[in-house]
Amino acid sequence: MIDVQFMLDKLPAFLGGGDGQPVFSVTDGLVLTLELLGISLFFGLCLAVPLGLMRVSRNRFVSGAVWLYTYVFRGTPLLVQLFIIYYGLSQFEAVRESWAWAYLREAYVCAIIAFTLNTAAYTTEIIAGQIRNTHWGEIEAAKAMGMSKGLMMRRIVVPSALRRALPAYSNEVVMMMQSTSVAGLVTLADLTGVARRVFSDSYLPFEPFLTAAAFYLALTFLFVWLFKLAERRWLAYLAPRKH
Amino acid sequence: MKPIEHPSVAAEVRGTSLKLQVEDLHKSYGNHEVLKGVSLTAHAGDVISIIGSSGSGKSTFLRCINLLEHPNSGRIAVAGETLGLVPDRRTGALRAADARQLARIRTKLAMVFQHFNLWAHMTVLENIIEAPVHVLGVPKDEAVARARKYLEKVGLRNVEDKYPAHMSGGQQQRVAIARALAMEPEVMLFDEPTSALDPELVGEVLRVMQDLAREGRTMVVVTHEMGFAREVSNHVIFLHQGRVEEEGNPREVLVSPKSERLAQFLSGSLK
Repeated sequence: MIDVQFMLDKLPAFLGGGDGQPVFSVTDGLVLTLELLGISLFFGLCLAVPLGLMRVSRNRFVSGAVWLYTYVFRGTPLLVQLFIIYYGLSQFEAVRESWAWAYLREAYVCAIIAFTLNTAAYTTEIIAGQIRNTHWGEIEAAKAMGMSKGLMMRRIVVPSALRRALPAYSNEVVMMMQSTSVAGLVTLADLTGVARRVFSDSYLPFEPFLTAAAFYLALTFLFVWLFKLAERRWLAYLAPRKH
Repeated sequence: MKPIEHPSVAAEVRGTSLKLQVEDLHKSYGNHEVLKGVSLTAHAGDVISIIGSSGSGKSTFLRCINLLEHPNSGRIAVAGETLGLVPDRRTGALRAADARQLARIRTKLAMVFQHFNLWAHMTVLENIIEAPVHVLGVPKDEAVARARKYLEKVGLRNVEDKYPAHMSGGQQQRVAIARALAMEPEVMLFDEPTSALDPELVGEVLRVMQDLAREGRTMVVVTHEMGFAREVSNHVIFLHQGRVEEEGNPREVLVSPKSERLAQFLSGSLK
């Protein structure tokens, strides 16, 4: 049977506490998951906007290079990408001797790099798709008003595309949140990592993973709700008329 | 629709203030020549209607004026400034020699589209102040004041915070006209502004355009509204297969056409 008392006893471990320590005394568990997710989503989005613009560029080398990048990162498992960065890079002496080694030896940094590149690839395609979907009439209106190409992109195309990308991007955020669970496989103690630790200490398979699952479910619920609010604010123009 | 008079602009201003000159415009798609040398001259206060059956090239001609379509040859001058055109190596058509000059000339040629083409993610007010603020560099509060003035002019109240999709077609088109007015252009180009509207909404848009004509604004209007062409414009151009088949004072041309094709076209439109 499921040992509910055990789950409750181990709950602080998922919140960076336990063993006599108060919760949130370390960043293990929930905080680490949110950190990995938040940082990689932030940098991923910062990369995805310019990459999305390059992806729809008329210059074939520019769009082709971005296509190759998104194809590789969307076409391989995140775990493989993480292992390549974490275990693979250290094989190169040049990497080990460079200033970057101080960072690249850290599983935390490697995880953030892998997650950022991965989410950036998906988000680039989402944004590029919405840029392509921009109504041609709105582009003609911008041209006819004397907007330069840059101004038109900055004021009309990108703001409109980012809004329309929200629903697809909310999926990406939820998927990414669940994907951060592979961080546990490179020694990091995110929610899944903590669950694995509790499991190996107790040999109770069900309880720790159920706790982790409950956390992920709660986070999903939270993100879906936040995106609902965001869509209500930024996609109001697509909503049916209220009066 | 009541006829309007164009006497005041005629005598003094005309001839001295040439707003728009288009000379011998040619345009082909592949081997198909859609415009075979069309010219147009608009002085201050002129309202020029361009009529013709679909496929006659009238929309293409209008869209060539602000280079939304690229003509193959011809000359375009706005308020005395000739648009520098060079052949594009890839397409063979003409493109602007200087993107900045094209942008500047476009700000003087505000266009109103058949499908309004308002920016869907912006409110009415944002739509109207967008280009004045970011293209012309008008301070924001001044642009807002301007926007309110022109919204009033097109007869819209309490719509500033609405999104285009939440308005009727007639309202959207009037917002688009306010957006064009806010550029304070030299010439306004209308590309079939009432063709996408429900019949009962056509009147509200035509009335606004009639007011603008009465104010002495220079307008070039591609239209199917024969009533508008006859009563509001002071010059009408009938295009047929990419050529000017007949042109002149609408009250003469539309009442007793010389060309058989125009007579045929008019009997088909019955207005």
